[in-house]
Amino acid sequence: MASSFVCIGISHKQAPIQVREQLSVPTDTLQARLHQLKALPGIQETLLLSTCNRLEIWAAADTSNAGADLLASLGPIAAPHAFIHKDDAALRHLFRVASSLDSMVVGEAQILGQVKEAAAHATEAGVFGKQLNRALARATTAAKRVRTETSIARGAVSVSSVAIELAAKVLGDLTGKIPLLLGAGEMALLAARELRGVGAKDFLVANRSLERAEEMVKETGGRAVPFSELNSLLERADVVICSTGAREPIITKEQMAKVVKARRFRPIFFVDLSLPRNVEPQVNDLDGCYVYDLDDLEHVANQNRDLRRGEVDKAELIVEEELKALLAELKERTGAPALARLRSRAQEIADAEVERLLAQLGPLNEKQQRSVKAMASAMVNKLLHTPTARLRQETATGAGPVARSLADAAVELFGLDLTAPDADAHGKGEKHEAHGKGHPASHAGAQKPLEQAQAQSASATPRPAQANETPDATPAPDPSQAKGA
Amino acid sequence: MAAILVHLSLGAYLAASGAYLAWLVKPRPWLSTGGRSLLGAGLVLHTASLWVAVAASPEAPWRGGQLFSMLAAATVALYLVLDLRYGLPVAGTFVAPLTVAAMVPAHLGGSGGAQLLETQVHLAGWLLPVHVAAAALGTVALLLAFALAVIYLVSERQLKRKQPGRLFSRLPSLELVDRLGWQLSTWGFVLLTLVIVTGSFVTHEVGLGFFTLNPKSGFALLAWGLLAASIQARLVAGWRGRRIAVLVVVGFVLLVFSYAGLLTSTPIGLGGAGKKGAALQLQPPDREG
Repeated sequence: MASSFVCIGISHKQAPIQVREQLSVPTDTLQARLHQLKALPGIQETLLLSTCNRLEIWAAADTSNAGADLLASLGPIAAPHAFIHKDDAALRHLFRVASSLDSMVVGEAQILGQVKEAAAHATEAGVFGKQLNRALARATTAAKRVRTETSIARGAVSVSSVAIELAAKVLGDLTGKIPLLLGAGEMALLAARELRGVGAKDFLVANRSLERAEEMVKETGGRAVPFSELNSLLERADVVICSTGAREPIITKEQMAKVVKARRFRPIFFVDLSLPRNVEPQVNDLDGCYVYDLDDLEHVANQNRDLRRGEVDKAELIVEEELKALLAELKERTGAPALARLRSRAQEIADAEVERLLAQLGPLNEKQQRSVKAMASAMVNKLLHTPTARLRQETATGAGPVARSLADAAVELFGLDLTAPDADAHGKGEKHEAHGKGHPASHAGAQKPLEQAQAQSASATPRPAQANETPDATPAPDPSQAKGA
Repeated sequence: MAAILVHLSLGAYLAASGAYLAWLVKPRPWLSTGGRSLLGAGLVLHTASLWVAVAASPEAPWRGGQLFSMLAAATVALYLVLDLRYGLPVAGTFVAPLTVAAMVPAHLGGSGGAQLLETQVHLAGWLLPVHVAAAALGTVALLLAFALAVIYLVSERQLKRKQPGRLFSRLPSLELVDRLGWQLSTWGFVLLTLVIVTGSFVTHEVGLGFFTLNPKSGFALLAWGLLAASIQARLVAGWRGRRIAVLVVVGFVLLVFSYAGLLTSTPIGLGGAGKKGAALQLQPPDREG
């Protein structure tokens, strides 16, 4: 049975932070989780994206129950908040997520890196195949177009940017203010860059691991300070950005009540980018204390969304264009292997018969031999013209199930072996025949890296796929990228 | 002539109010610039109208409407200085309509409001001019401090509740509002202190003693006490932000009550309105005979 796409998950749009906290998947358990998902009935390929704002699973499956099975794997807590998208809707969601149209802060840049990182993890786990790879490659193309062809990325485009804007709303000019970074993760680093961009330089960086803090200071400037001096650090800091992996709050109301008096009610702004939260929400009740966690930032993000509505509309159009291109490509590929194998098989028979006939006829001149071969090829072409045209028509007009049925019928009737090594290659060769049929790149296996598939996808019409093509504009997934979209 | 100028200035203030309110809806820079320009033009016309009025009838008594008119002009002047220095168009949306409201009594003409002095007072010395000038400047400073305190409370509430409203992006930072409000309320307190001290001497000059308790003086003293407490709390305990803003708002409201008493009685000094006929006692000695 041909496979279909499915996507299930929860995000900041449907699930409160308390639910997301419980469902988040730490990096160290990601591989095991991916294997569990792959072991579910009918799941052929899968991809798991776990960030602060979402837990989403995409899969290519050959069963209609895949969505329900995947959802059940999240446990009962997810069900009331979860969504399930299938086929086109699942792909559209992937495109929108990668393009940051589904992000808390529309236009933020981290999510694409996080999606790529998720793909890298899935590839490493051996659960990421050709189908998802192709979809993700096209989604990446869409995301890049959105960033370059619209103004959606202007202004505050990330959670950290919005946080810095809010800090400036409380503290005014941040030049000369003292930022305290708790945790040395990717989000903290992004926040540090933002702060440095607005003039804050005297960073205090605290981490459970002083060495990691010192490494971070090399990038941000400022000083690495011992985490054990937290209270004294809180007395000095103006902006506190928390991005640690602590499972319990590290800053409590009781603790801050004392600190607030010691700092003589000077305002202090907390940006809690951690999941679970590092700062007790009740700290916000104290005079001069402002605590914003990821959910709180959504309100500001919504404002940005409104302001950028026009740009979002343009971005949505790009997403639809790329999605349409992918769907056309997928539909074409639905019958392509069967068609290619059918032609290949027919040509094999014709060639064998021509050879046998030429041997029986005795010596013929070159012209006569060419005529015999041409006649055989013409018969093959004429015989296969109608089924080829029919199959192409069905795939081109979007009648997916019909196209699949016809392809399956051809396989059955002619006894075709689609596992033959040249089946897919011929399909691609057909597609790119004007540019170089049967290029070795076409034989790339199921574990082909995303960048290669993306190069193929982006160049679907104008140029052939290159086996060793380097993704000139697609950075490799950065394993250091942490959650935060 | 003065009436025409007042009308024109009122028109300019009205237009400025419209520009600032439009800026609230759509924060286009030209709207805030236009509002500032119109406010400046209104101030010029307004000052000219006051000048012409005084020049035309130097002996004419001042009335409540005129007092409010003068306060409005001073408020606009101080606001424009702050706006040029710090860029506070959001305060303009507060100041411009308030100026229009304060100008209405003046717009109604010289007969509007109670007559502040039964006749031109020529008290010996410099006490009365200092008293009046300090009262005007102090009130203006506290009025702007009040406006900033309200802005602070609105902005802080939105930040605390994490529900920024549509106007959130137009609001200045809490730090700026707090700092400016602190400076203005401190100056307001100093001037109010001067008002009370000079007022006591003035009333003593006219034979009413240094202090007579009545609603006007009582509210003024309460306002002074509250402002003193806020300054003490800030300097000693480090209070700032919302707590100080609340104290400033309450202090200014008490001051408004004091002014409400002023409009219905003779305003000179803290004790001047308590006794019937006090105004007559303020007449210069050379006219008593």
